[in-house]
Amino acid sequence: MYAYNQFDQTLVDQRVEQYRDQTRRYLAGQIPEDEFRVLRLMNGLYIQRLAPMLRVAIPYGLMKSDQLRALSQISRTYDKGYGHFTTRQNMQFNWPTLESVPDILADLAKVQMHAIQTSGSCIRNTTTDPFAGVSADEIEDTRPWCELIRQWSTLHPEFAYLPRKFKIAVSGSSSDRAASQVHDIGLHLYRNDAGEMGFEVLVGGGLGRTPVIGKTVRKFLEPQELLTYLDAVLRVYNLNGRRDNKYKARIKILVNAIGIDAFGAMVEAEWQLTKGKELRLPATEIERVKGFFKAPDYLPAVQASSDLEPVFNEYPQFAKWHKQNTRDHKQAGYRIVIVALKNQLQAPGDVNHQQMDGIAALADEFSFSELRSTHDQNLVLADVAQRDLFALWLKLQDLGMARANVGTLTDMINCPGLDFCSLANAETLILSRQVNETFDDMDYLYDLGEIQLKISGCINACGHHHVGHIGILGVEKGGKQVYQFTLGGSASNDASLGKTLGRSIEQDQVVVVIGHILDVYVELRQTDETFLETIRRVGFAPFKERVYGTHQRSAA
Amino acid sequence: MALIKDQQLSHNHAATPEIRFADWLNEGSLAGDKVLANGADDLASLLASASQLSMIAIEFETFADGRGYSMARMLRREGYDGEIRAVGDVAMDRVDFMHRVGFNAFELRNDQDAAQVLSKIGEVTVHFQPSADGKGPAYMV
Repeated sequence: MYAYNQFDQTLVDQRVEQYRDQTRRYLAGQIPEDEFRVLRLMNGLYIQRLAPMLRVAIPYGLMKSDQLRALSQISRTYDKGYGHFTTRQNMQFNWPTLESVPDILADLAKVQMHAIQTSGSCIRNTTTDPFAGVSADEIEDTRPWCELIRQWSTLHPEFAYLPRKFKIAVSGSSSDRAASQVHDIGLHLYRNDAGEMGFEVLVGGGLGRTPVIGKTVRKFLEPQELLTYLDAVLRVYNLNGRRDNKYKARIKILVNAIGIDAFGAMVEAEWQLTKGKELRLPATEIERVKGFFKAPDYLPAVQASSDLEPVFNEYPQFAKWHKQNTRDHKQAGYRIVIVALKNQLQAPGDVNHQQMDGIAALADEFSFSELRSTHDQNLVLADVAQRDLFALWLKLQDLGMARANVGTLTDMINCPGLDFCSLANAETLILSRQVNETFDDMDYLYDLGEIQLKISGCINACGHHHVGHIGILGVEKGGKQVYQFTLGGSASNDASLGKTLGRSIEQDQVVVVIGHILDVYVELRQTDETFLETIRRVGFAPFKERVYGTHQRSAA
Repeated sequence: MALIKDQQLSHNHAATPEIRFADWLNEGSLAGDKVLANGADDLASLLASASQLSMIAIEFETFADGRGYSMARMLRREGYDGEIRAVGDVAMDRVDFMHRVGFNAFELRNDQDAAQVLSKIGEVTVHFQPSADGKGPAYMV
């Protein structure tokens, strides 16, 4: 993976000192509250309901084992011994003190990490496919491009006070695992009919209050012009995005207001002035960055492979885990392993310090000392030799992280909700606990197949509920927490926004309603039909009927 | 109000113009060669008029309004070499970025200490982007 040179290190070190001075001046009463708020947000520090929350950047989800160990150490020293992986592939600490943040940042800088631009109205952490560079269906490795975007967007002087936050996702496979259609900019790396590599550029996607699927603004972009083009999009947005209402300030609102063609024409006009100029990436620079993402020293297939059938027979749990939590690798003899952060005892995405140290050790032992975080709040060991899978599984069991539920109902996305977040209107963690308690029969979950359950505690949609096969949005009504269901969303190639099922559901009825929805699916599905396919085929009526019965009809 | 210009505390400088760019457009050069602009002004006209102007003051009504950064960047890109003065909500935590996009003068908010502000210009010495001072990532130099 990418390793800092003196240049990167200097930048991060100086940024730590800059923030240390800002914190000192704030505590001395020299920076007004509203101004410090923006400064701390640009360094990932929120003030939450109970304590500050620090969001640490994990650029495009890639980490060295030493970095995870450093996060573990930070959680022990400055927090309560655990951290939380977010849907932007970052890590959040829920209990640091404001005064300690400069020291945390200094500790992070020692392992080439930071919290720069993990919040605020600026360009956020670029996200990508957690299987980049290793998946069997990959067209081109996205990581070098993500790194180039990371560098260009870091402390960008012109784009630090945008109308609103700005998120970029990059996908380079036939299946989109980066939710690129619901980002401010989605980049699809692909090969055109002439066989040339380039980007399709989508703009104006996003979730939040106004969920929108991104629209293509450029069909094919020559890779060397990636930064000139991004620069043009950002400049048009910075100058023209709405600033009078923060709920109307995202680029999607601008694109929808003037239309994708008019927006594209503005970008094109600006781009004509910069294309081919100073931000054009020299081939040597692209090669230099690609050099950091070379394949590791894989064993020859004969050595890496192993006949697992006898082990599967002896350990059926291992067989289930192998089927559910590992994926095809492009290198013969290797598998991609997903370490699910979705057990019954912890909130989705949470890891404690023992687990962090444990996973770091497993990455050292089995996966070239690297690991990845995913936008659905799991971890990935990307390069595990088949012959090591059983040993890895045993050790994951010791850590309580071998639950074979990836892709099932209980592999849910969940924002922290009202338990932590000052924006939330409703609790979400109680729902994940209830779901785990109610739907604990693994054979039932396997029979249901792939179901993405995504839960947000407020309309800002950090839990991506709009693109859940089943989405749940917590709202407050008359002092009570109630939950709106949406069905039929997806963030994959067939991206779609879920539609509201009907009136809100009370907290203690949420799992009952999920049960009804699943029952209808099981009754109506045709052979091999997934949950999403069934909904798309049969529509909402049978689900509404089961959930609301006659009451809904008379009320409507 | 203290003014920093070309990385020094300035004691002898032109006052910040009061005439708004939109009014200047109507009145023409009789109205002088210094204007006050902000993010709401028509940028294409400003770029087209820049050669007639010796100073363009760009106003930050609030520090969160980032349009001025792109305005300065575009003016410099078009070759404008007059003074670009940041006025309004201008404070030490933003002068480095302002300097990098092409502002060369800063009229400071009243609570700002000029010496401290000066120390903030160039606080981060390495950059990943090309900027008005010609510094950029290694591969661009």
